[in-house]
Amino acid sequence: MERAIIHLNIADFAVAVETNRAPSLKGRPLIIAPEGAPRAVVYDMSDEAYKEGVRKGIPLSRARRLNQKIPILAPSFNRYEQAMKDLLKETFAFTPLIEYGQADGHIFMDVSASKRLFGPSVDVAFRLKKTFKKAFNLDPIWSVATSKLVAKVATRLVKPLGEYIVAPGDEEAFLAPLPLSLIPGLEKPDLKRLKEFNLFFVSEARGLTLEQLKIPFLQRAPLIYDRIRGIDPSPVRAFSETTSTLSADHEFSNDTNTAGSLRSALYLMIEQICRVLRTRNLHGGCTKLILSYSDGVQNTSASRLSPSTSNDMAMFKACALLLDKAWTRRVRIRHMRLICEKFCPPMVQTELFTPETKETRQVALIQAMDKIRNRFGKHAIKAGLTLTENRIAS
Amino acid sequence: MADTTACRLYIGTSGYSYGEWIDSGFYPDGTHSSNMLDSYIKTFHTTELNYTWYQMPKAPAMERMCEKVPEHFKFAAKLTRTMTHEVKKDLWQKEVLAFRQGMEPLIRAGRLLCILIQLPPYFERSVDFRNYLAALLDELSGLPLAVEFRHDSWANDKVFSELARRKITLVNVDEPDLPGLFPRLSVVTNPDLFYVRFHGRNAKGWRSGSMQKQFDYDYRDEELKEWAERIRVELMPEAASGGIFFNNHVRGQAPKNALRLIDLLLRKGGKKTPWNGPSFI
Repeated sequence: MERAIIHLNIADFAVAVETNRAPSLKGRPLIIAPEGAPRAVVYDMSDEAYKEGVRKGIPLSRARRLNQKIPILAPSFNRYEQAMKDLLKETFAFTPLIEYGQADGHIFMDVSASKRLFGPSVDVAFRLKKTFKKAFNLDPIWSVATSKLVAKVATRLVKPLGEYIVAPGDEEAFLAPLPLSLIPGLEKPDLKRLKEFNLFFVSEARGLTLEQLKIPFLQRAPLIYDRIRGIDPSPVRAFSETTSTLSADHEFSNDTNTAGSLRSALYLMIEQICRVLRTRNLHGGCTKLILSYSDGVQNTSASRLSPSTSNDMAMFKACALLLDKAWTRRVRIRHMRLICEKFCPPMVQTELFTPETKETRQVALIQAMDKIRNRFGKHAIKAGLTLTENRIAS
Repeated sequence: MADTTACRLYIGTSGYSYGEWIDSGFYPDGTHSSNMLDSYIKTFHTTELNYTWYQMPKAPAMERMCEKVPEHFKFAAKLTRTMTHEVKKDLWQKEVLAFRQGMEPLIRAGRLLCILIQLPPYFERSVDFRNYLAALLDELSGLPLAVEFRHDSWANDKVFSELARRKITLVNVDEPDLPGLFPRLSVVTNPDLFYVRFHGRNAKGWRSGSMQKQFDYDYRDEELKEWAERIRVELMPEAASGGIFFNNHVRGQAPKNALRLIDLLLRKGGKKTPWNGPSFI
C-alpha cells in the first residue's frame, strides 16, 4: 500500500517552548544549557544564536566565547515533555501511527489509512499546523511524502519555517540536486569517504552501482544505495510501540530467597523482554525491578541502561545489580516483575573492521539462539543459568 | 439562438490525486498516486492544482508535470495561501514573485488555463480588503486570473465591472444556500474565459471543518441539467473558453458529475459516457 507520511518539526523546540513563556526572548539569540554544571554543553539554541555559530552539543564555554551577551536558560525537561504530550494529543485524532522524538518537537505520522476519514494527507498536515499554532503558539515546519526519509529531508530544506509536499513518484527527482549531507542515515564517515571520491551531491553518488558502492562501504552499501534513491521502507512505529513499557513477571512456585533461583528467574524475564525488543528493532533504555516478599512488602529499584541494549547478557549484567539493590530483606520472595522502558532505536553505525570481542561473540550467540528458537520453538535452546529455576519449578 | 460553437470548454475536477477514486472505480485497482495523472488525462483535459494553495509551486515540479500531459491539457493553479489566507503585510509581494517563477514552466508550455485566486470566507468587501485585492491583481497582472469570492458582499455590479475592466474572470460558484456565502450566479467578466466551480450543496457539512463532509455531495441530474442550460445560454456565448471544475471529490462524485455534465452539454440526453471512459468536448 502506498504510504502517506507527515513530518511535523518544530524547529529549536526547547527554545520555542521557553520563548512562549517569556515572549521578550523571541527573535533574539538564546541558548538552553545547564549553566551551573561542570563541562556543560548546549542543549538547544535559537536560530539567531545558530547564526552566531552556536551549535547543539558544543561546550557551553565555547558558545560563551562566541558571544558573551547571549542569554542562557537552564533546560526544563518536564516542560518540554509536557509540551510534546500536548502536541501528540492533537495528532492522535488522525492516526495511531505516530512516532516522535524525546521532547524534541519531531513527529512522524502515517496517515495512509485515514484519508477516507479525514481527507487528503496535505490537508491533515495543514490543519495540524494551524492547530499547533493556535492552541500552543508553536509553529511547525511540515512535509508530506511517501517515506520518513523523504519527509525528513523535505523539512530540513525549509527550516526554520515552511512546508514541502513531495508528490508520489517525485522522490528521486526531489533528492537529486541535494547535497549528500542532507540525507538521513549517511553518517560522517560515509560523507567523508564520498567526498574523497569527489561526490558531494545525491545525483553524483547515484552514478555508482551497488557493486561499486560495496567496495568502499561493504555492508553499508545497500543502505547508502537505497537512501540516495529515497527508498526507506521503515515504518512509522505505532504509538503503543514507542511509548509503552515491556514487562515480564515471575511467580515462584515456592517462595524463595535462594540467589540462584532469583538470578535464574531474572534471566528468564530478560530473555523474554529482549526478544521482543529485538523483533521491534529497539533497545531498552531503562529497567525497573519490583520484588514482592511473601509478607506483602514490595521493594523497587530502577536504573538506566547505559548504553541502551536488547542484548540478554548486557541487560542481565545491569539487572543483577538491581536485584542486589532491591533484595534487602531476609523474608522469602514470592514474585518478581521486571519493567523495561525508554525504548530507542539501536545505533546504526558500526565499524568497518570490528575486532572480535566478548560483546561481539555474545551478539552472535544471541542471534544464533534467536534463529534456533524461530525455527524450533522458544524452548528449543536454553541458557545454562535458567536451568536452575527450571529444576526448582519442576 | 446564441452562438456556442466558438467557446471551448475545459471540464474537469479540482485535483486528481484521491485514493478513494480507486474504490469508486474511476481509477483502476492498484493505481499508484504517481500514475493517477496518467490515468486522469485519458478522461479529462483539465484539472485544478490544489497543492499550489498549500505550497509555493516549484518550477522543476511544474516542468515534470507538464511533461506528463498532452499538449491540449490545461492546468488551473490555485494561488498560494500566503497571498490569500495568510497574507503578511511586508512579504506578500515577494510571494507573488516566487509564485510567478514557480508557474513559469506552465506558462511557457501554454498549459496554464488560469490562476485561481480563492479568497477566504472572512474576506469581505471592506476598504482594507478592497485595497489589498486591487494591489494583488496589479502585482499579478499579465497572468490569466480568476477570482473566487466566498463572501456575499462581493456580489455587486461595481465589482463585476471592475473585474471586466481588468479582463479578470469572476468564478461562478455552486455551493449550499447558506447565509453569507457568495450566491449562485452566471456572470462573465472576461471575454477570454468564464469559470464555474461546483463545491456541492452539503449545507450540513459545509462548516464542519472537515473536507470530507464539506465536499460530500452528489449532484442530481436536474441540478446538472439546469447548469448545462445556463452554461449553454448564459456563459458560452459570452466567452471564448470556459473552465468548469467539480470540487465534490469525496467518494469519486466529482469525476462522475463532471462526466454527466459533459454528456448533458453534448446533448447526449439519456446516453451516458462510460464511468471512466474518455470524454471530449
